[in-house]
Amino acid sequence: MSSPEVSDAQLLARALVGDDRHAFAELVRRHQSSVRACLRKLTAGNHALADDLSQETFVLAWRNLKSFRQEARFSTWLYRIATNCWLADARKRKEELLGDRDDAVADEDEAFASGLDAAHGDHARGAALKLDLERAMAVLSEGERAAIVQCYHNDLTHEEAAYVLDCPVGTVKTHVLRGKQKLKLALAAWAPETN
Amino acid sequence: MNTAPTSPDTDPTSARDWLDGLLESDARDDRAAYIADAGFTARVMQALPVPLTLPAWRKPAVVALWGVALAGVSLALPAAALDVAREAYRLLGAHPVSLSGMVGALLFAGALSWSAAAFALRTTD
Repeated sequence: MSSPEVSDAQLLARALVGDDRHAFAELVRRHQSSVRACLRKLTAGNHALADDLSQETFVLAWRNLKSFRQEARFSTWLYRIATNCWLADARKRKEELLGDRDDAVADEDEAFASGLDAAHGDHARGAALKLDLERAMAVLSEGERAAIVQCYHNDLTHEEAAYVLDCPVGTVKTHVLRGKQKLKLALAAWAPETN
Repeated sequence: MNTAPTSPDTDPTSARDWLDGLLESDARDDRAAYIADAGFTARVMQALPVPLTLPAWRKPAVVALWGVALAGVSLALPAAALDVAREAYRLLGAHPVSLSGMVGALLFAGALSWSAAAFALRTTD
């Protein structure tokens, strides 16, 4: 077990040069929570899928360790791999479901609306708001959701989010702006009342 | 949201509102809730590709094969070299070369090598 004062860079060097799996295991232990939380957000609360994608993320990180040029923090690099895994999986699922997309969207909207109603009546305000936010996030496009998760949930700058999403900073800002507009519409019931 | 490197004046997403507060508080809650490892790291380590380990007998076997090959070459080489020398002598003997021919060939080879050197060392403008 590595001592806590060993930096990510030192562990990376050990994993790279000495093919040290114990060092990589320590890196996984350190970052598993943030990567899994990020993917839970991206998958709109699907914990099983998020954990599968997290595992895939770390396996890909191990395979591509040599290509990590330290131009970003290790955690940011992991977010980048995680986001790519999620995007690839989302596209694969979309292709599979393309045939009955309209029905799915209609069902989703219905479930979303009924969820909002049910939530207002039955749950505590905080939990209901969290649930509504999760459902509203699921309605966003992949780019919008990914941009909002990186900028808010992972607390990255627009520049770091652009690195993670592999797109220009302007695109990140546009995705955030459009995503927020959609979220405001979906969560209009939670907006503070203005006089 | 961490927007430090971007100027708020030029950032269209910087206008804070109730949704920013909501997203940030949701993110804070999520960050505070550490996800327990619960065997996740062990599963990842099991899923990593198996390291390529060569069998223990491979190295001595390769060394032995190289030894056999070198021994074969060293036994065959003297006879082969002798054969090549003999054939070359026979070829030269069958076609005697005059002194002027040899000088001409040497001059041609010299001119060719100097031309090649001049071409290789030429400056590109």
